[in-house]
Amino acid sequence: MKLEQNRIYIKDIQFGDVTAVNNGILTVNKEEMINFLKEDPKVKDVKLDIARPGEKTRIIPVKDVIEPRVKISGGKGFSGVTQTTTQLGDGIVNILYGAAIVTVGDIVGFQEGVVDMWGEGAKYTPFSKTFNLVVDIEPAEGLEPHMHETTVRMAGLKAAEFVGEAGRDAKIDETLTYDIGNIDEETKKYPNLPKVLYVEMLISQGLLHDGYIYGVNSQLILPTLLHPNEEIDGAVISGNCVAACDKITTYQHQNNSAILDLYAEHGKTINFIGVIITPELTTLQGKFRSCDYTAKLCKTLGANGVIVSEEGYGNPDSDLLMICKRLETAGIKTVLITDECSGWDGASQPLADTTPEAVAVVSGGNVSHVVTMGPADKVIGNDKAIATLSGGWEGCLEADGSLKCELNAVIGATSEIGFHYCTAREY
Amino acid sequence: MNKINDFSIVTNNPIVKEKYSQVIFVDGGFEDVLIKTRDLVHSGHELINHPLGASIRMFFSPYRSIIVSSKSTELVDNEHVSIMESSIISYRKQMENRMPDIVNSQDYAIIDSELLDSSVEEMKRFYN
Amino acid sequence: MYKILYYVNQFFGQIGGEDKAGIEPEFHQKSIGPAMGFGVQVKGQAEVIGTLICGDNYFNENREAALEYIMNVIKEQKPDMVVAGPAFNAGRYGMACAGVTVAVQEQLGLPVLTGMYEENPGVDACKTKVYVVKTGNSAAAMKDALPVMGKLALKLLKGEEIGKPAEEGYLPQGRRLTVIADERGSKRAVDMLVARLYDKPFETELPMPVFDRVTPAAAIKDLSKATIALVTTGGIVPHGNPDRIQSASAQKWGKYDVSKIDELKGDYYTIHGGYDPVYANEKPDRVAPLDLLKEYEKEGVIGKVFEYFYTTTGTGTAVGNSIKFGTEIGKELKEAGVDGVILTST
Repeated sequence: MKLEQNRIYIKDIQFGDVTAVNNGILTVNKEEMINFLKEDPKVKDVKLDIARPGEKTRIIPVKDVIEPRVKISGGKGFSGVTQTTTQLGDGIVNILYGAAIVTVGDIVGFQEGVVDMWGEGAKYTPFSKTFNLVVDIEPAEGLEPHMHETTVRMAGLKAAEFVGEAGRDAKIDETLTYDIGNIDEETKKYPNLPKVLYVEMLISQGLLHDGYIYGVNSQLILPTLLHPNEEIDGAVISGNCVAACDKITTYQHQNNSAILDLYAEHGKTINFIGVIITPELTTLQGKFRSCDYTAKLCKTLGANGVIVSEEGYGNPDSDLLMICKRLETAGIKTVLITDECSGWDGASQPLADTTPEAVAVVSGGNVSHVVTMGPADKVIGNDKAIATLSGGWEGCLEADGSLKCELNAVIGATSEIGFHYCTAREY
Repeated sequence: MNKINDFSIVTNNPIVKEKYSQVIFVDGGFEDVLIKTRDLVHSGHELINHPLGASIRMFFSPYRSIIVSSKSTELVDNEHVSIMESSIISYRKQMENRMPDIVNSQDYAIIDSELLDSSVEEMKRFYN
Repeated sequence: MYKILYYVNQFFGQIGGEDKAGIEPEFHQKSIGPAMGFGVQVKGQAEVIGTLICGDNYFNENREAALEYIMNVIKEQKPDMVVAGPAFNAGRYGMACAGVTVAVQEQLGLPVLTGMYEENPGVDACKTKVYVVKTGNSAAAMKDALPVMGKLALKLLKGEEIGKPAEEGYLPQGRRLTVIADERGSKRAVDMLVARLYDKPFETELPMPVFDRVTPAAAIKDLSKATIALVTTGGIVPHGNPDRIQSASAQKWGKYDVSKIDELKGDYYTIHGGYDPVYANEKPDRVAPLDLLKEYEKEGVIGKVFEYFYTTTGTGTAVGNSIKFGTEIGKELKEAGVDGVILTST
């Protein structure tokens, strides 16, 4: 597959008369966009706001982050979700690089997910560096929780497509080409390079705990093989709202750093042959089946090395280590990406589960690490969510209005696809 | 477990208690549900779904529902015992400095019930 | 100029060897032994204002009395920091350095520092709480240890940020701190995988804990003919603690003839420092159930209760010592033809 990503560098977002990009400034026609999103009768109201890097702005509770793009050729936007089903991974896509659609909206009261655009908090989230168009969606009254979640998820994706259209005729600043042929061709090209697969685990457990591939709920799949280009072209989206620090937002699927960093080594030190999406199920039987099937796919495809990334903490640790055990036992060299929960003082056993086969592990940091974030000048979203964020323990709100929270609440802080820079080191 | 209806739900969630007939109701917190389930697993009940949630946030839930086989056998599954014990250790570690998020109890009860429904659906794809 | 108080044992305090290990703590308002060499390392910024010397046996057997004296001296002298050792691989000295530094840090809140060989049992007793500089296993390593200790001591005094264990020369404390790395996680993962694929060295960011697993012995076929021994780490000893087993961080174990009694109640009590002793003292069989074993013996459920009861204290006891005690006790039991053991902890 061959995918050309045209980047249009975005240096600011402003509201204006037209939705367009000029000289790196993205203007958005507020009314048009709100009306477009309100075409869905389940959307009662939409509020739009802008958060720029460095501003003393706090966004909470963040549901999803999506990169605005427009497909120029080779399929359509979020295939099987907002658009009819088409094959993704080939063709040309224009990207408003540096901009992000951030959806907020509390489906349940305990949602967290904070993005601070400045100061200490900004260090811990990758989305403090993007120009964020924040879409606050208020659904129609009386929607049951599943429909509520779907409404907010769809509105976010549509918003990204609406804004992405502005990139159709904009001036392109940079073009990146992602081109990997079929396994046979690539192996002929690089006969001596070790074959590498990337296994991406997705929370697949029900309401607020779901992921979708071409619109298919991952609860219903056996582990499945994707060409790397499909995921970075929008085939995988997030329906996960509760694991703020280590959930994979749609933006992070579109820009999956594990895929991109493996791509960078393709043809140099490795032969990157594909991506396997593995559901993290809830039943023990389901976990065994997914893990066996994942290991079988890796073996069948002749992988020499595999990177496995997790999503979440708790029961998914079991899947991560079971996959690792099966791969290492089969002689496949495996590197895991996870995060850890080693308590406030960092002195506890970091994982919910352990296995001696996990000899090569990358840590995205301690989800219980406590950070102090200064008072914001402006809060976009729901003030009350801050109470949830800071609730549950003593001494979290300081006299000067700054608040202490665990990294757990910060979007993307301990990313288990390795999207961010945090790690934990033993001292 | 042989048949799809041979399961019981250990829960402290009032919504689940209303919704399902085969409930072992625990009058207590998340940890009490874990301990009750552990005791059942120690006495030969099969553990059907993982006792922990998939994110730190769900550790703060006041409610939890776990599925076990309704019948016990002579054979205690050591793997299941070990999952239960390590989950209790994880839970206690996680809650060392935190309290259950009581303010949002009602929402947690709904989500716990929804996640349980998903687990039951998933289970039906194995036992039929 | 920062003021440092130094702690050494009888040997490094130049009083004497093993024959002087029982001496009570004493204080000298000058630098003695390693305190002199240490003073050179911090010269110009800090000075050693005095040296505390205590016999290793005295400290370990009279911990409370020793610490009381030491704490009083520290309160009077008002140093900015207390440095102990280095103890290298000397176990009792290591335990004393651990005891002093932990107590000073916890009770007085002063910065402290010690140094030990990584296998010294004192390491486990304090490394999660205080900085322990990694040293060689004998006093020959003194000249390498003191500069590292001096440098780290100054950093601690000044409240400077302490770097990674390998950079600063201290033993890892088992605390995992979140930091921002130079490369994103996925890049680090790809680099790690490429290193593995090309058989190059790599370092995991999350070492899995190593559990010491013991293969269970075969089941006893006929319990009614078996000799069963009772062993505990619950600190149950005869009244008066005749072997002076430590109430924490045990250095030894004891064995006592129980062939003529039906229960531990009456003759035994607990010296364990890690739990509320009220219920154990009421009836020590609650910790080590000799009463039930004797009943089983009478009923014929088991063949015989082994004539000796083995005991030590589990709390704070170094893994190295635990392995040693277990091996020694196990050897005796095996040679005596014991078939099974009830091992209780608290």
